[in-house]
Amino acid sequence: MKLTPKVFSVFLLPALVYYLTMVILPIGLSFYTALFDWNGIGQATFIGLGNFKELLFNDPLFWQTVKRNLLFALFSMAEIPFAFLLAALIARFFRRGQRIVAAYFLPVILSAVVVGQLWQAIYHPLSRGGLLNQILVLLHLDSLTRAWLSDPNVAMYALYFVALWQYLGYHVLIQYTGIQNIPHTLQEAAIIDGANTWQIMRHIVFPLNIPFFKISLILAFIGSLQAFELIMVTTGGGPAEATEVMSTYMYNQSFLNLHYGYGSAIASFLVMFSLLATFVLNTVFASLEKRYDIGG
Amino acid sequence: MYNRLLKIKPLLMLLFLAMLVLIVGCGKNDSANNSTDKGQVKLVFQNIYPDETATNHKVMKKIVNAYMDQHPDVRIDLDSLNIDQQKLKLKTQASGKNLPDIFVVNASAQMKPFVDEGLLAPLDDMLDKNTLRQTFQEGILNYYTFDGKTYALPDGNNIGVMYYNKQIFSDLGLTPPQTFTELIDAVKKIKSEGIIPIAIAEKETWTGSILFMNIVLRTNNGPGFLDDVIAGKKTFHDPAFIEAIEAFEELVDAGAFQEGATTTEYAEAETLFRTGQAAMYYMGTWATSGMETSDHKDYIDVFPFPTVHGKGNVRDFMLAPGSAFAIAQNSPHLEQAKDFLNYFMLQWPKENFEMKAAVGLAQHVDGDFQKAGYSDISINVLNLFQTVQGGDLAFDNTMKPDVAQVHLKAIQRLFVEKVSPQDIADEHQKAFEKSYAQ
Repeated sequence: MKLTPKVFSVFLLPALVYYLTMVILPIGLSFYTALFDWNGIGQATFIGLGNFKELLFNDPLFWQTVKRNLLFALFSMAEIPFAFLLAALIARFFRRGQRIVAAYFLPVILSAVVVGQLWQAIYHPLSRGGLLNQILVLLHLDSLTRAWLSDPNVAMYALYFVALWQYLGYHVLIQYTGIQNIPHTLQEAAIIDGANTWQIMRHIVFPLNIPFFKISLILAFIGSLQAFELIMVTTGGGPAEATEVMSTYMYNQSFLNLHYGYGSAIASFLVMFSLLATFVLNTVFASLEKRYDIGG
Repeated sequence: MYNRLLKIKPLLMLLFLAMLVLIVGCGKNDSANNSTDKGQVKLVFQNIYPDETATNHKVMKKIVNAYMDQHPDVRIDLDSLNIDQQKLKLKTQASGKNLPDIFVVNASAQMKPFVDEGLLAPLDDMLDKNTLRQTFQEGILNYYTFDGKTYALPDGNNIGVMYYNKQIFSDLGLTPPQTFTELIDAVKKIKSEGIIPIAIAEKETWTGSILFMNIVLRTNNGPGFLDDVIAGKKTFHDPAFIEAIEAFEELVDAGAFQEGATTTEYAEAETLFRTGQAAMYYMGTWATSGMETSDHKDYIDVFPFPTVHGKGNVRDFMLAPGSAFAIAQNSPHLEQAKDFLNYFMLQWPKENFEMKAAVGLAQHVDGDFQKAGYSDISINVLNLFQTVQGGDLAFDNTMKPDVAQVHLKAIQRLFVEKVSPQDIADEHQKAFEKSYAQ
């Protein structure tokens, strides 16, 4: 059979139907539900944009959660140069780099529950045998010991770190793949022309790897906005609201406070925000790719 | 062009066929909801006893099977979920008006939205059959009754008590505290020995809340504080509420709770106590059956929460009327479901008694616990039940969910931060006014 557009569309249809009913439709419904004051059980009252008004102009808690997500996104994106450096070093010094990369990748395949439990044990207070605190005591840094996940001043940062640890391998893998994709001939030619390692990095590897930076950055950003499981497993958003982020706040509003409409408004905001961020990142990279003349 | 189409046709046909099968399959499932091939009536029984090794699951299974043996025309399908899953699933089903025939709801404020929406069938006619109503303890059904109609039947009735480790207490020369000051002194003494004074699972915020509300029950000199707030007779700025916050902060400052309390899970906290790492544990009496399996069970005893600054009555307890069975008003087999639930509730106390799980039931139990081989801790808890005069329901069983959430977070904050009682009261009052103004 010849692969004509029609054949393509037939093969795409199941995925398309699935995507429309399981992704696009719920997003649409979510926007619709956000227009109602609804407890999820009884009658819904139409209140137009009331939920959004309340959310954007009258809910200081919500903006706190946005701030935490953005900070998280910032840390996640700052991690990517580090991942790139690691990938470059692995590609440069190891013949079978895949194995090292696989080792870095290992935490990614662990479920959030496992990671949460593991780090909860690491972060435990000293009186209950926390690993990190015991190490600090060994290093005579007793003053730094604390209940890492119960101290509202550090709990969020402790969780950021876990996420960064878990997803480092993910970005190392992406960057490593990117570097491997660069034809060797280019680097060999550069060496013959007398370029040093830094110059090869700066003028060959770096620009040709831009599409992979884009993938990493977008995934890191969107992933940070959607952070949910790790927080639910470890702190549940507490102590008080210290580790509440957008998605946990949405969950609490919808399912615990029984404000389905309000929760849907948060969900809608999250979708818009993610789309906007993706658009901005894409635009930035489009201009970068144009400058270096590579098809993204 | 025509040629190409011809080539696609078989594929398209296949796709349509697949979709057709899918649609027909779904349709069939729906009709199976009402009756089975053999012409049996099928009832779906959604419950919160998923653990097949747990007594509650075994008791349920036994009664359900016995009923099916007696009624070959009825098939009962169990949908066993853990508590959080069940709450979520039921809410989703309720929003689609697609409820199971029999399911579980929680007392008072938590079940009210379902009642208001007319989703629950009144059970009074069924309660009067086979004298089922008389098996329930006096007053317990009130928590499930709205406008004179009873909509759900509770599986248990518990009270909040302080479990304590007799050995740790006697080693330190302590006796069960009668007053809050004595409690604070005991906490300090235990703490100085490097033992956790009180284990608490504050990741699940309701645990701190019932302890706190027990203090309110004392400082308010008796039950009814939240009811008075709802009725507009009191506010959260009431001295009783402020005093309770101060007392709670005093507990925290004395180091009463284990470090990292706000990330401690329910099972984790109970383990701290059951393994003798903690000297006290405040919990509903449903925890008793878990104590039976502890290595330290011979050292475990209970005392009622002490008076606070000379206020309150130790015979008032935090009351925890259990989760309760309800029937969907739109069930196609309403009568059959009622008949089954009637049978189920009549058997419930008997079967639980035999399985040594009859502590904290909502129904009268015939039988001698001592003779039946119940342990000391169970007997002591049962004796404490005899002293109950009255009490309050948990915060989230009394107030609307959004106010309850503000409350739960506020109490959790007390564990990690120094907050002025006035601010906590303000937070409560604001949330209350906002929610109840609507």
